[in-house]
Amino acid sequence: MVVTFPNMGNVAIAAKTLCQGLALPYVMPETNNSKTLAVGSYYAPEEICLPFKLILGNFILAARQGADTMWITGSCGPCRFGEYCELAMRTLKKLGYRTDFVVADLSSDVGVKEFIRRIGTVAAASPVHPVEKLRALRLAYQVVELCDRLDAKAYERAGYEVHKGECRRLLHEYKTKVRKTESPEETMEVLQDYGRRLDAVPADKSKNPLNVSIIGEIFTIIDPFSNLYIEEKLMGYGVSSKRMLSPSWWVKNMIGKPFRLGSRDVYKASDPYLKYSVGGHGKECVGEAALAKAQGMDGAIQVFPLGCMPEVVAKSILPVIQEDKGIPIMTLIVDEVTGEAGYITRIEAFLDLLKGRRNQNQKASHPRAALNMRQFPSKGV
Amino acid sequence: MKIGLPRGLMYAKYHTFAKTFLEELGAEVVVSPPTNKKILDRGVRCCVDEACLPMKIFHGHVDWLKDRCDALLTPRLIGVRDKEYICPMFCGLIELISNNIPDLPPLIDAPVTSLEYGKLIKWAKQAGGFIQKDDTKIALAFDRARKAQQMEQIGYNEAGYPLKIALVGHVYNIYDQFINMNVKKKLNELGIGVMTYQQVDRGDIDAQIQTLFKKPFWTFAGEYYGASVYISKKGLADGILYLSSFSCGIDSVMTELIQSEIGDFPFMVLKLDEHTGEAGFDTRIEAFSDMLKRRCEFGRHLS
Ligand code: SF4
Ligand code: SF4
Repeated sequence: MVVTFPNMGNVAIAAKTLCQGLALPYVMPETNNSKTLAVGSYYAPEEICLPFKLILGNFILAARQGADTMWITGSCGPCRFGEYCELAMRTLKKLGYRTDFVVADLSSDVGVKEFIRRIGTVAAASPVHPVEKLRALRLAYQVVELCDRLDAKAYERAGYEVHKGECRRLLHEYKTKVRKTESPEETMEVLQDYGRRLDAVPADKSKNPLNVSIIGEIFTIIDPFSNLYIEEKLMGYGVSSKRMLSPSWWVKNMIGKPFRLGSRDVYKASDPYLKYSVGGHGKECVGEAALAKAQGMDGAIQVFPLGCMPEVVAKSILPVIQEDKGIPIMTLIVDEVTGEAGYITRIEAFLDLLKGRRNQNQKASHPRAALNMRQFPSKGV
Repeated sequence: MKIGLPRGLMYAKYHTFAKTFLEELGAEVVVSPPTNKKILDRGVRCCVDEACLPMKIFHGHVDWLKDRCDALLTPRLIGVRDKEYICPMFCGLIELISNNIPDLPPLIDAPVTSLEYGKLIKWAKQAGGFIQKDDTKIALAFDRARKAQQMEQIGYNEAGYPLKIALVGHVYNIYDQFINMNVKKKLNELGIGVMTYQQVDRGDIDAQIQTLFKKPFWTFAGEYYGASVYISKKGLADGILYLSSFSCGIDSVMTELIQSEIGDFPFMVLKLDEHTGEAGFDTRIEAFSDMLKRRCEFGRHLS
């Protein structure tokens, strides 16, 4: 058994940690790039959404390197993601690879029993002691959580840094290193080290950067290649950005939902605009947009892949929220032919708009209105 | 009270039920005219650009009706079977129209999650309450509407042509002659009879779905798959024509799954959107029919 898994933000790092902990051989996918996309698009149905093309690209490239067990998350919402595994399986079979799919799917129509059986096949292949297996699982979760927190910290602090580009450099460094580590322990060390380093980045508290919330389709916003590195671009402009959706959020939300935990405030905020689930993360997108102003954001950017059905529904609601709450929201739609130049122009124009609004507000109100700014980011990973 | 009924989306399948129900409740029913260019243009103007053609057309129908009635019957069709769905766009249909079209009359938008009796009667009470306060009258209207719907035969299976093509796809594509540019007539003129996928029994469909690794959670999409596979295996038609909506997430998956299952059985996908030109459409249909004819002759030589 040689395991592989797709690049879904930091999930790949967690999956790698898990494989190391279970002493299972694995193929680590390269971070998504134009080759992944080219391979994926070639074999995928033409009109399928971008995430599938990339995931398929990851799988095919990994299969060429000998991977035979594909890990993938599934979901049986009304959206296509739930059909990904079926399609990917057939495509790989057609290409002549004998592969096994382990779908992490907690919904009732596949059944918890089936899920346990699938986990069982993985667990059985691992030579380590059961106690070690549990430890590996815990470590994997800690890793993904730490990664997500590091990312968030870097995106936020970029607005305050004294030496321009420092946060971005640290982010790159840790991402490169953490993909090469050879044991879960080593991974943890790297992450903790970079957590400290990010905390130590000299920050100018008097800066009052623009704050932007990144919302939209989860895969597209957690995979930098898919969103044309939007967060890094914002870092470059000295803008602080925030994104609620992340792999660790997904896990927490999935476990918490049945107990009405999870992101309740977001769901509550979305209710007046979108009462029912529309699959994917359309409801989250609407709720976050509705909350953005109260969270101290200057604006929100919605990103989703062409043809993404839940986000199209969300998009048609956003203008109403923009009006109601008085917060600018921009939508960026990406696909494999999105041109970088036009994309950057739109982001810059949006940031100009946000700046303009700020200046106007400051002129209009008492100078101490600046106190309204967000709390400076807190320390500690 | 005048209740508007848009002639779009699931109207194609459930219009008998909806009309009977409303009339039995004592409402006057206003149905929008069959889809035409004006309705399409209205829809394209008010709907979000990224939506599929059937959604845009539905917007057009709603826009046509909005000044001609006191309320609109637009149920939020989340699903027709328990724990299954139709499509994400259907779940958000109410948000789409209410945010895209200004000055709408009240919408009777109670959600439908299943067509099972117990669940649907609840819907009937919610929706019917808008017109009629008396619960027993609602229950009566509901029963009549259900009976009328059960009597209704959807689809056709034409005999008497040398060749036959099965139409597969969303009902609002198959039965809306404007959307599909009257494909049935075009095929008939080429000497081809048409059957629609509804002619396959639910039981036969379900048997085919069993072969999938995972049962599709989109009810109708599952039917397209099951029916297509069954038709190809039993040779109920000489070829399958899948009428798909451009940028429809469901179709992008289902056409692929069907194709990978039926092998070299003749299968063609025609994508429809507001830019589909009739000339190109005709050419493709003719090419497909030529191919079928050649195949058929070849088969005769062999036997
Ligand atoms: S949510 Fe969007 S991107 Fe994800 S599967 Fe659905 S359509 Fe594709
Ligand atoms: S199933 Fe396809 S065509 Fe029908 S509403 Fe959904 S996206 Fe549009």
